[in-house]
Amino acid sequence: MPISARAALLLLAPALAVIVFALVLPVASVLRLSFMEPGASGLPVKVVWTFGNYIRLLTDPFYLGVLGRTILISAIVTVLATLAGFPLAHAIWRASRRWRGTLTIFALSPLLVSIVVTSFGWMVLLGSHGVVNQALQALGIVEAPLKLMHNDFGIVVGLTHILLPFVVLSVLAALDRIDPALIEAARVLGADERACIREVVLPLAAPGIVAGTTLAFSAAVSAYVTPAVLGGSGANFIGTAIFNQFMTVFNWPFGATLAAALLAVAACIVYLYLRAVSRIAMPWAGA
Amino acid sequence: MSGVTRFAWRALLAGVAVFIAAPIVVVVVSSFTDGQIPEFPPTSWSLRWYRHAFEQALFMESLRWSLVLAACATLVNVPIAIAAALAIARGRFPGREFVQTLLLSPLIVPAIVIGLALLLAFASIGHREPTTRLLVAHVLITLPYMVRVVLANLVRMDAELEEAALTLGASRLRAFVHVTLPLLAPGLFAGALFSFIVSFDNVSVSLFLTTAKVNTLPVAILNYVEYNLDPSIAAISTVLVLLSLGVAVVLERLVGLSRVVGN
Repeated sequence: MPISARAALLLLAPALAVIVFALVLPVASVLRLSFMEPGASGLPVKVVWTFGNYIRLLTDPFYLGVLGRTILISAIVTVLATLAGFPLAHAIWRASRRWRGTLTIFALSPLLVSIVVTSFGWMVLLGSHGVVNQALQALGIVEAPLKLMHNDFGIVVGLTHILLPFVVLSVLAALDRIDPALIEAARVLGADERACIREVVLPLAAPGIVAGTTLAFSAAVSAYVTPAVLGGSGANFIGTAIFNQFMTVFNWPFGATLAAALLAVAACIVYLYLRAVSRIAMPWAGA
Repeated sequence: MSGVTRFAWRALLAGVAVFIAAPIVVVVVSSFTDGQIPEFPPTSWSLRWYRHAFEQALFMESLRWSLVLAACATLVNVPIAIAAALAIARGRFPGREFVQTLLLSPLIVPAIVIGLALLLAFASIGHREPTTRLLVAHVLITLPYMVRVVLANLVRMDAELEEAALTLGASRLRAFVHVTLPLLAPGLFAGALFSFIVSFDNVSVSLFLTTAKVNTLPVAILNYVEYNLDPSIAAISTVLVLLSLGVAVVLERLVGLSRVVGN
């Protein structure tokens, strides 16, 4: 039954109120903060309009470094998650109906299980007396324990784990849209499985891979818990830098500027994502 | 595929599987240790860290808060999401696409920005009650999932059934209660369950809004591991793992997991 515009607005009102009052206005006031001067003597904000925070962000080598590192590490993590996620999605796609559910739950488990649990798991695995180091030492591969966490390696491991499900979900959605007749046709025409993956499956799954990677990248850039727990000391990931400015240094305006930079990066990625997704609907359109 | 590539492909898959399972398996298995630190595999087995975890007021209090918060956020969201999804699915008004994007936007804005923005917003209106701000935050972050699931169900639903009820003389309300709502029930249940788990597991938004007195379990765990690495964390984490995976199994059976989580 169609609903009139007035009734629709009434029905939407509570949801829109939540979004406007709990998201749009608070985020807008954070952005407003980024154009204020940091206050002296205990007060976090001085109500003076300025571009100073943005100039500082763009000229301070430390924070430019933080931005660059965040993007670089996120890119590495995205590539790793894609390399690991495609074969997994492909295996789920090819699995029998009976196994599909179990495999899906397994592949999505890093997303389903709370991040504090998996972070703790990595601490037990990667610590200097952790499972991995003890195994490596027992096998005689290394003598002294390796430093596997509280550095960038720890961030890469932890983030790749969390982002894998994003890639799997997107790729699986794209694979499920492939007409089985196309695979059949390739087979009949003499393609072996490898040729099939390379010549038929990969090109058709490409938009799904692009969607998955952009989603993974945006989640990586926004990460806070993993870099805080598994990364090195010092606020050198954008999420930890924002937290540090607000909660430790109490420079709210500069923290807000970093948050604005993060939002800008995330918005660009989401734009790319939406473009990729609109192509999944018609896999032929972009070819 | 030739033998070598097939073997390489399988080895890669096995590696990925180990990578996914490793941190979760390690937590679960090491929770049964008798030792003082989480060992894998444990040299001797015991359940004593479970007792230790369940006797700690810190964990039990925060577990209680987490359960109450997840339940309240979900309950608040059910009517809001049904109404919004109905308007988007059946309404004819300009800017529908925009409204839909707006309702999904909490998924796009980084959690750290949401957490900070809410912390500052509540501070600026002088409201310092952690329970309210946590509830508002959790309603916000679970709303998109609820709306998405309900919307997908409404779109797939046979609209002629509603029309038939109306033609046969049912009022709009009656048609909604007796036709639409029962057809919506499985999807609604799935959405509610997933909202519950999203809220229950959340740490990156809650982190900014909890206090020493009002804490959620994931935040309590995060604070605890900063100073202690005893196996009681593994024990309480195992409870979390069982809860999340249990919900996942139910969702998979009910509507298909990738349909609820999907992007």
